[in-house]
Amino acid sequence: MATNVAERAAIPSVTALPPTTGVRVRSVAVTWGWRVFLGAVFLLLFGPLVILMLFSVNDSNVLAFPLEGITFHWYTDAFHDQLLHAALVNSIVVACIVAPVCLVLGTLTAFGLTRFRFRGRSAVSGLVGAPLILPWLIIGIAALMFYVRFNIDLSLNTVIATQIICTFPLVAAIVGAQLFRFQRVQEEAAIDLGCSRMQVLRYIILPHIAPALAASAIFAFTWSFNNYEISAFTIGFQQTFPVWVYSSVRNPDHTAIVNAISTVISLVQVVLLWIALMFLRARSGDDATRGMLAGNEAVASTGRT
Amino acid sequence: MAAVDVAVTPARKARGGSGRGALGILFAPVTLLIVLFLGPMVIMGAMSLLRFPPNTASGYTFQHYIDVLTDPLNWKIAWTTWWIATAAMVIMLAISLPLAYYMVFRAGRWELFVLLSLVLADELAPVVKIYAWQVILGRNGIVNWLIPGPPKTWLLFSPFAVIVTLAASYITYTTIPIYAAMKAIDASMFESAIDLGAGWWVQSRRILIPLAAPGIFIAMILVYIPMLTDFVTADIVGGTGSYMMGQRVRDLILGAGDWGAGSALNLVMLVLSIVFSLVAYRLARLNRIQT
Repeated sequence: MATNVAERAAIPSVTALPPTTGVRVRSVAVTWGWRVFLGAVFLLLFGPLVILMLFSVNDSNVLAFPLEGITFHWYTDAFHDQLLHAALVNSIVVACIVAPVCLVLGTLTAFGLTRFRFRGRSAVSGLVGAPLILPWLIIGIAALMFYVRFNIDLSLNTVIATQIICTFPLVAAIVGAQLFRFQRVQEEAAIDLGCSRMQVLRYIILPHIAPALAASAIFAFTWSFNNYEISAFTIGFQQTFPVWVYSSVRNPDHTAIVNAISTVISLVQVVLLWIALMFLRARSGDDATRGMLAGNEAVASTGRT
Repeated sequence: MAAVDVAVTPARKARGGSGRGALGILFAPVTLLIVLFLGPMVIMGAMSLLRFPPNTASGYTFQHYIDVLTDPLNWKIAWTTWWIATAAMVIMLAISLPLAYYMVFRAGRWELFVLLSLVLADELAPVVKIYAWQVILGRNGIVNWLIPGPPKTWLLFSPFAVIVTLAASYITYTTIPIYAAMKAIDASMFESAIDLGAGWWVQSRRILIPLAAPGIFIAMILVYIPMLTDFVTADIVGGTGSYMMGQRVRDLILGAGDWGAGSALNLVMLVLSIVFSLVAYRLARLNRIQT
């Protein structure tokens, strides 16, 4: 060990020598190699959306290259499409109910699981984790059978109920992780100094978990808005936006409208999410954001079908 | 350090509140989960055992499970699903490993930007993203336009399209656990390796891959679960050659109305998912990766 350290200490004088031309060329090649690779990754991630954007202003209903010319009439068509209008309103209404309910339920769950010791705690946390682990296909089908068995009419209400079950465990996981990292000592100190329970909640706990709550709200809303699998199984005759896209994709007359509305929705999502993520970063710093996102995504990964 | 954590945690938890307080706080969420999550699972279990579901008076049987597990068609679909998912996994690992390495060791101030982009791309509507691949790979799509010669019909409505689209959809989920695992690697190890004369191949094979292995396994398991039940991708960009397990279950229940076989097959997949995720959970616990 000691000799290693001695050797390492001797190295800088060697590496400090001016690099030979060969080394420099090679490091430039490596840098460019990484740039090309990153470019390819971003193309894979966002290229599809760029293509949709191109076609949404293409003056032809046929999805064919080369493009024909610029038009915006697909956007006006999309704006006047009644079914699409209804589907968008449905999705927004559902997400606006699901997200706040999940925020409350998830935060309660996180508090219960991190701040209390009780018998059956591991069973409860298993129950909370299960909807995140199981694919939405399985949950959706089971929910469908449940509603049919008890003669509950399928409607937006059943969609909302099932989405809540699948989404609030995500909020619980995000907020729970934050609470777990948080030192209880601070709460106890506040109580010792004469704070009431409400004051502890307002001045100690809430500021601390605020970034986690913000992140959860964003994720819960987008999960609900984007969800196809659960909506498809538990919805009645109505449509949500993903269900509308899904049914319109097969219809050649509809493709241009799908392109236009998908472009609008994706751009709005990109802008809103980016603002939200930046806000999160400003509030909680780079390291915390990194940890939160890496943690979230690892949790979230299992729930997706 | 780890030993200290382990020693401290139980003591800190033990000072937590009483069981009654927990009951008050957890009552609403747990009741909802029992009614709307466990309830449906129990109903589905019952449907898989009823002789003629949903007729509850017809008596119970294991026949649905026997039928489902001995039907050669199901095995054929399972095989298709498995190789499509595996091909997508190979592509994803080929991208995720270098990407995670780049983010941790080379990106510098761009690290967070790349991470945020990955998350952002994942949060966009999946149905829209899959549909976009239909536009890209189609007969008159950009790929066929760029490549000279007659249109390549195997690009769309084929296993190829499903593999590419699955890989593009789940890339965030394979990258992030690997990224988390690599984040724990001490960069000075690479410096020592370079000082000792190791090239990039030896460095990856002897340092990077072994130390990131838990993250890689977790990523694989966690992404296999949703890929095996994915039906939206295969519906939109797949063809007859890429009929997958998720589609099979959906068609059995919504198409054929065969609740018995459908729920039996669904429960088989449910058990597989649980086994997979328990393995991932054990791995994460063993390696103390926070998920």
